[in-house]
Amino acid sequence: MIPDDAIDRLLEGCQSIAKQCEAQGIQEWEIVASQGYGRSLDIEAGRISLASGGGEGGFGVRVLQNGRYGYAHLVDPSGAEHAVSEALSIAKASPQIEGFSLPNAMDASPVEGMRDDAILNLSAEDLLTQGDAIISEVSSLDKRAVVIGGGVGIGAEAGVMLSSEGVEASGITTSHGLGVQVSIEENGQMTSSWESCSSRKLMEGIPSCVPMAVEWAQKTRDPISVETQPVDTPVLMTPQGISSLFSNIIRPSILGDRMVRKESFWSEKMNDLVLDSHLTMLDNRRMEGGFASSSRDGEGVPTSCHTIVENGVLRKMIWSSRDAAKNVAEGRIDEAITTGSASRGSHMSPPTTGCGDVQLISSNKSQTRAELIETMEQGYIVHSVMGAHTANPTSGDFSVTTSTILRVEDGEIKGALKQAGVSGNLFKAISNGVYLGTLSSKNGVSSTGSNHLSDILFSQGMRINPA
Amino acid sequence: MVIQSQSAPDHGRSTKYLDRTRMNNALEQAMDFGATYAEIRLMAETTSSVRLKDGQLEHAIPGQEIGATLRILADGAWGVHSTTDISNIPNEIESTVKLARAVAARRPSGSKPIQLAEIPILQDEIHWRPKKDVRNTDLQTKLDMLQTIHASANDDDKIISVACGWSDEHLHTELLTTEGMDRTWSFQRSMVNGMVTARDGGDPVSYRMRHGGEGGLELIEACDLGGLGEHARISALRLLKAERAPSGKLPLIADRDLTGVYIHEALGHPCEADLVAAGDSCLDGKLGQKIGNDIVTVVDDPTMRGGYGAYPIDDEGLDVREKTLIKNGILTDYLNHRETAHHFGIEPNAGARAQDGLHHPLVRMSNTMIMGGSFTDIDELAEDIQYGVYACGSRGGQVDTGRGSFQFAAQEAYLIENGEITTPLRDVSVSGLTLQILNDVDGLTKDAKLASPGFCGKGQTVPVGDGGPIMRIREALVG
Repeated sequence: MIPDDAIDRLLEGCQSIAKQCEAQGIQEWEIVASQGYGRSLDIEAGRISLASGGGEGGFGVRVLQNGRYGYAHLVDPSGAEHAVSEALSIAKASPQIEGFSLPNAMDASPVEGMRDDAILNLSAEDLLTQGDAIISEVSSLDKRAVVIGGGVGIGAEAGVMLSSEGVEASGITTSHGLGVQVSIEENGQMTSSWESCSSRKLMEGIPSCVPMAVEWAQKTRDPISVETQPVDTPVLMTPQGISSLFSNIIRPSILGDRMVRKESFWSEKMNDLVLDSHLTMLDNRRMEGGFASSSRDGEGVPTSCHTIVENGVLRKMIWSSRDAAKNVAEGRIDEAITTGSASRGSHMSPPTTGCGDVQLISSNKSQTRAELIETMEQGYIVHSVMGAHTANPTSGDFSVTTSTILRVEDGEIKGALKQAGVSGNLFKAISNGVYLGTLSSKNGVSSTGSNHLSDILFSQGMRINPA
Repeated sequence: MVIQSQSAPDHGRSTKYLDRTRMNNALEQAMDFGATYAEIRLMAETTSSVRLKDGQLEHAIPGQEIGATLRILADGAWGVHSTTDISNIPNEIESTVKLARAVAARRPSGSKPIQLAEIPILQDEIHWRPKKDVRNTDLQTKLDMLQTIHASANDDDKIISVACGWSDEHLHTELLTTEGMDRTWSFQRSMVNGMVTARDGGDPVSYRMRHGGEGGLELIEACDLGGLGEHARISALRLLKAERAPSGKLPLIADRDLTGVYIHEALGHPCEADLVAAGDSCLDGKLGQKIGNDIVTVVDDPTMRGGYGAYPIDDEGLDVREKTLIKNGILTDYLNHRETAHHFGIEPNAGARAQDGLHHPLVRMSNTMIMGGSFTDIDELAEDIQYGVYACGSRGGQVDTGRGSFQFAAQEAYLIENGEITTPLRDVSVSGLTLQILNDVDGLTKDAKLASPGFCGKGQTVPVGDGGPIMRIREALVG
């Protein structure tokens, strides 16, 4: 799937852009290149509707002149003169950041599990066969069930970084992902469930998200009516249910820049209790096979696993080198250095501070879902939400909607609700009365991307409003 | 891996990126291999984004991107190849035909092969030229405009942060098909946006702003940028004192922004014919049926110049047109592309859009609006409401098209008590069921127009415009 000389070709492109930087007298420069290759198929209405393949990539160049930086991106390195010149003119218009320089070259050890040659060797026919198997599996699990949407994809990405400070790094990562929208339509009632999973390794056979989609399309049939008051109620969020809210609210709150600008709910709360006291939150950039892990960050700095919250107490915030230097220079914080937490969306964007693979763990014994339901006694199980992107990341307030919600009474599931509003404040909900279930990621297969979460039972801070 | 460098097309004539002779030969080769249809669609983008944080330049990113997608229909199934390596496309013809045939070979018995509705075959160029080509706008001009927003947005001690952004893009598309289509088109989009964060000892609050659309610098120059920042500041300060919204089923009045998001999520997505065909829409089988109140008429119109969702030609080469989705409460049309138009036996209506040159076209919305009604203003809409909510500004929405349930969130809101707009509220969201709530729209003001620009995600992200009048819903689930 990926040419043998992919890295060499990217490196060659980077070197030609580097020459242009030197020709234009740039003091410090950093060039990244990426080239992705992939195969995928779409599933619609119970059949494979389309298969595709291809590749895309490009180069990004960051220049630094007297503490002022500029950026430009391009597809073809023969356009380097223009791109470097544009980046330089932007640098001249940018504010000077005292103390900001590009990171020096440092040794970095590789993160395991980032590449699986079985993915590189997978043919289009192999992928189509997996697509067929998924469609058949859904039908065999419930003859009423149909995969009405989704698909399967594999990808490989070659990446190179080259800098004036001696950083020269390259590597190839792989990925395999699938998502299925399963619906059951019978007797004028339609229920559906979307599930997905991904891994850096080849997921052979039928990943567990496929039967899970069927299960939730079944579980949410024949809704019951529930009368509740708009008061806090226990809610058990599955990893799929909590992940999008976690991404929109919790992850941004640990970024150093947001912390010191007082844009985070956790601003000025360093060394305070912010999570339930048995909870520890890690920002791990070195997780084996992690989707947000790598040996170096987006500025070439070796990565680490950071303990952000330890036994409920906020201990750390994360930084890229630029954000750290800028906020020190502007007096928002006395001291800050890079934590190896620079992230890039693609070659088209300069590095900014971002989270790695985030884990929430408990010093208490984890419970099975059945035990959590028993602990909850009375409440709801929420498996997915709509509108998590509308949550307020600064306050933690959210008001979302769910169509995959089950009512629990006397420690037992009584039935599904057709639709309900879920609202509350995630910072407050997660600060007390939290119980964690067993971690659901299995064999490096994640259903929640770079959030590594288990079932979470919230005893307070959440309200359910049945439609 | 990479393409030959070319400068962007100049203003007077269009530089072509695709080598016609070579690419048409490649398309012919696809037919020789057994394809029934093949196309090459290229998009070259010249982009610029600028971000100002607390009055200082955070970043400015100029970019040139190019990509092309080869799409081949063989034996009634699609094979697709997307690449930034344009010159290599002819080498991918045979493998892409084989890919399509491999998909076709798996088609279940009883499942119909894909066919395309016929459309006019044209060879031409259409360029929507802006009054002021945004590519000629220098960085200092952009910074000056963003500083205007910043200054007015930041004018209070309780404002702790102001972020302002600029983005513009010049999009150049070429489409060649085995049917003889050879069309080239271009247009621009420009936008400014921002977010104000305020804090007064307690929890921080934030308010977002956006202005822009299809067009060049003239769009931004026409905006009262100081007013935009001022509005965001005043709203953020008001949110500091806002109370938590009541929960439950309540009468709701939505401003133009929210009306737009509501109609986009609740009706627009379920009207997309690819979702209908896949069995993932609550509007399946409802063409010609009454699904909303008589006062509800909805259009989707990419010809609405200046709207963020405007475009001159769809990504299958069809001239764009206004589509009436609901007329006086009756579902009259789906948004479609050639495949779904043939599937449903309806006329193609130019709803095919791709995110960029590297994606294949899907059925998408453009500028979607509820048309105006008979009420004069919000006071008239509110006068009969004893206890309800007036919600303003959008923080986005989402829909489950199959179940027909949707959610959207307001930036700010107010209680309505005895016909009067009273206490400010925060973090209000509204949810409901499409087929129920369209019947519950019981009041619209006369003045329908597009609201703030937005983006729509459906695997691919495309810019859209939404809007309408101020709308009253008899009862909605407010959280």
